[in-house]
Amino acid sequence: MLWKEKYMVGVPQIDQQHEELFSRVTAFVETLRSDKPWEQKLEKVSETLEFMKGYVVTHFADEEAYQAAIGYPHYQEHQKIHQKMVAYVVAVSDEYEKEGFKEELMQQFGGKLIAWLINHVLADDQKIAEYARSKGAN
Amino acid sequence: MNSELLTSFSDAANQTFKLLLDLDVITDTVQSPENNDKKEYIENIDIVIQITGDLNGEIMYSFPKDMTLEMVKIMSGMEFKEIDEFVKSALGEIANIISGSALSSLSQAQLICDIRPPKVSEGQTFPVSEGCSLYGAKVKTSIGDVGLNLRTIQSAG
Repeated sequence: MLWKEKYMVGVPQIDQQHEELFSRVTAFVETLRSDKPWEQKLEKVSETLEFMKGYVVTHFADEEAYQAAIGYPHYQEHQKIHQKMVAYVVAVSDEYEKEGFKEELMQQFGGKLIAWLINHVLADDQKIAEYARSKGAN
Repeated sequence: MNSELLTSFSDAANQTFKLLLDLDVITDTVQSPENNDKKEYIENIDIVIQITGDLNGEIMYSFPKDMTLEMVKIMSGMEFKEIDEFVKSALGEIANIISGSALSSLSQAQLICDIRPPKVSEGQTFPVSEGCSLYGAKVKTSIGDVGLNLRTIQSAG
C-alpha cells in the first residue's frame, strides 16, 4: 500500500481524494508488479489506467477549485503542474493503445507515477494546506 | 562558482531524500575531479539530466544498485529484486525532482535554467571534454551514497 499518514495535508476533502487516488494507484502498481504473464494482467491494467485518467482530472479540478476559493496565491503555478501531469497521462495512454499495449511503457509509467505523486502531495499540496491554515480556512 | 552550483544540487538531494524517503543525509562532501574514481560506480545506476539556459551542462546522479531498490521499496511498500523499467523510471523521476528543486533555488540567485528529461543507464562513463569543468560531490545516507557530478560547458566569448 502506497498511502502513508504523513501524506495527509489536513484538508478533509483533499485528503479523502488523495486516499482514493493512492488506493487506485496501489491497485494499478500491484497488478503491474504481479508475477502473472502480461496477457493476464492486461484487462486489469487497462481498467485501472482508464479510471485514473478520469479521476486525476476530477481530483485536480476539485483541488484547483479549493485553491481558488481560499485565494491561494500560487494557484496558477499549481495548475500548470496539474496540466503537465494530465498531458503526460494522456500521452502515455495514447501511446499505449497505439503501440499495442506493451508492458515496458506501463512499467515506466508506474515508476514515474509513484515518485511524482508522492512528491506532489508532500511538496506542492502541503503548501496549499499551510496557506489554508495560515488563513484559518480548511 | 561551480562548487556553489553543485551545493544547490546536493542540498536539493538532501531535502528530497528527507521528504520522500525519510532519509537523513549524514554528510555531503565536494570532491575534486581527480578523486572521482569511475570504478567505484560500476554497479551504479546513472541518471544524466541536461541543463540549458544561463548554465549549460549536465548533472549526473550515481545511485548504488542496492540503494535504488531500497528507495523504490520505501516509496511503494513493495519488494524489488532487480533494476527494471519501473525502477529506472521511478529513479529518473526522483533525479528530475532533485534537479528541479536545485534549479528553483538557483533562480533565486538570478540563474535561470531548464532541464531535459532524465536519461537512465547502468555504469555510464561521464567524459570531460575540452571547455568543460567537472565537479563532484557525494551525498551519504543510511542506505547508500549517491554520487553527484556536475559538468558545465563554458560559453564562448
